This record gives sequence, C-alpha cells and structure tokens, in this order.
Amino acid sequence: MTVIHPILALVPFVLLLFSRRVKAAVCYMIAYAAAYSMISFVMPATSGIISILIGATAGIIYRMMPSLITGYFVVNTTKVSEFNAAMEHMHVSTKITIPMSVMFRFFPTIKEESSAIKDAMHMRGISSLRNPMEMLEYRLVPLLMSVVKIGEELSISALTRGLSVDIKRTNICKIGFHFPDLVCFLLCIVCWICFVLHMGGIV
Amino acid sequence: MNQQSSKLQAKDLITVGIFTAIYFVIFLACAMLGFIPIFLLAMTFYGPVITGIPFMLYLTKAKKFGMVTITAVICGILMFVFGMGYFTMITALICGLAADFILKAGDYSSKKNTTLAYAVYSVWFIGNYIPLYLTRESYFASLVSGYGQEYVDTLRAYTPGWMFLVLLAACFIGGLIGAALGKAVLKKHFVRAGIV
Repeated sequence: MTVIHPILALVPFVLLLFSRRVKAAVCYMIAYAAAYSMISFVMPATSGIISILIGATAGIIYRMMPSLITGYFVVNTTKVSEFNAAMEHMHVSTKITIPMSVMFRFFPTIKEESSAIKDAMHMRGISSLRNPMEMLEYRLVPLLMSVVKIGEELSISALTRGLSVDIKRTNICKIGFHFPDLVCFLLCIVCWICFVLHMGGIV
Repeated sequence: MNQQSSKLQAKDLITVGIFTAIYFVIFLACAMLGFIPIFLLAMTFYGPVITGIPFMLYLTKAKKFGMVTITAVICGILMFVFGMGYFTMITALICGLAADFILKAGDYSSKKNTTLAYAVYSVWFIGNYIPLYLTRESYFASLVSGYGQEYVDTLRAYTPGWMFLVLLAACFIGGLIGAALGKAVLKKHFVRAGIV
C-alpha cells in the first residue's frame, strides 16, 4: 500500500507536466510530499489532539488531493465538445453526458459568482460567521439567483446551436485511444490488481 | 419542441446539470468541515438542511420523471471519484428513483410530496457511511495510513453499530427540515423575484 499510493499520486503530476501546467503540477507535488512526510515522520511522534489535527489535515490532502488534481486535469484539458465526443464513442447516454458537461462548464462560473457576491456582501458589512443563518441567506440566495439566470441563458444558447435535435451529431475533435492512454491504463490496472491482492491478504 | 412531452429533452438535461452543479458545490462546501471527526457524522444532519434551499428551487423546475434520478446518479459517481466507495452509487440510485416516484405520485406539484421526496433523496448520503459498518475492520485499517491511529480511534468510538440508524434518521429528518427551510426561502425570495 505504501508504494502503490505514491505511484498513483505521480500519475496526475506527470499528466500535468505533459500538458504544460508546470505551476499546478509543482504545487500539487509539494503539498502531497508535505502531507506524506507529515504522516510518515511527524505523526508517529505526536499523540492526543495534535495527532488528530495532523491526521485530519494531512490525511485529507494525502487521500483527496490525487483524485482532486486528476479531476482538475480532466476539466482543464478536456474541451466540452471533446468530452461529449469521447462519451459518444463510449456509448454513454446523453442523459448523463449533457448534465455532466453542463456541470463542468458551471463549476468555474459558480466560483466566480460566489466570490463576486462575497465582495459585495463584504461591502455591506455581512461577512462574519457570528450570524450563520443571515450569512447563509445573504450569500446563497443571490448566488442561486444569478446562477439560475446564467443557466437559462446557457440553455437557450445551447438549443439554438442544435443540442436538442435527434439526429447523430458530428464533430471535428480528434479523439482516440493511443499509446499514452494505453500506458496510463495498464499502470492503473497493475496498481489496482496489486491493491486487490493486498486487500485479499495475498501480497 | 413539444413542451408537453414527458420524455426528457435537452433543455431538461441542461437544467439537471445546472442544479446538480449548484447542489454539489454547496454540498462539498458543507463536507469540507468533515475533517473534524464529530462533523463527519453531524454532516448527515446539517448537509441536507443547507442543501434544501437549492434543491427546493430545483424541484420547482424538475417536472419530468428521471431528473432527480440523474442528479442522484451523478452525485454518486462524483462521490465515487472522490474516493468515498462504491456503495454511494447504489444508495444514490435507489434514493433518487424513490424520490422520483414520490414526486410522480404527487404530479410534481404536491407540496407534501416534494418535502417527502427531498427527505428520501437526502438519504443517498448514507452510502458514504456504509463502509464504516459493512467492511468495518478493513475500512479502519485503510484509514490508519492516511489519518493516523488517534483519528481512527476517535471515529471508532463515535460510531458504534446503532449509530448507523441514528445517521439514517439524521439524513431523513435533516431532509425534512431542509425542505421546510428551502420552501421558506423560496417563498421569501424567489417567488417575489419571479424566478420560480
């Protein structure tokens, strides 16, 4: 287990490097290495509440970061039309792919709107957590309003571009299963088999 | 474009995407507090309460069978990708379908049914806790490498067997309260603004 985890954690790092997102890759690697060394060297030497705090913060990074970064890589390097084309090749129903692609499109929008609303509310003096219900109302309601409006506009623009027609759609994206895909695929399969064997108590 | 059609159109699927995105982001923001051991369990209660607001707004737009199910399935897949185990996908599918049937029984407008449907839907989150009980020993063993022995011991102390039922009930009751909260906010803001 202690070997497989870092190997798999390296996968998004390498992928990010190959797609020239050096800054994100380095930041990720530093955070991961810090969490890993905290867990393996610092935590055994502590006890009580400090150990719990270290375990919780470093543990979240150690366990969640690799999958979050892989998600970041996918969202950042895959265009929506590429995603749709690939899913169509895999015969995934549009009932899943359309909502998914809208979600990918929407996560950054929600983040932008949310920080704009945060600033606006800060100017009006609504920024403390002293009154959580008030915070919830004044932050969440405007966010929902603006996101719903943007969503309606998006929906109309997608329909004018023929999303709702029943015939098969064509696209110009060059997608396919190539040698790098095969390498990643085999690496993950090997790690996964080792993991299953480990859980079964064989290795 | 036949508006009366009961089949899912592209427009409906976009609506699903938008609201699933909002729902999931708010949900994740709540879940981020989970690194404190007690909050991990309290999440079953306050999570559904807070996400009740976006979900009630969603239910005013979801008028066709299958929309809530798709939301649930996507949440399940995303939770699986985040490493919460594969049980969530199963519970999400069951809860989503059940919620959809309840909504359909109320013709997608009955107030009682939307409340009940949201409470049932909220139970999907329990899937994240099933590994705590079904594969208890191996789950705790796998947590030790990341979170450390002390965190795991605390978690173990907080989660005796009967706790599962408490969590289940917390999801459901949280859902009921969330639905009431969502409806109040809906009435206070969204109806007046003409969004609904």
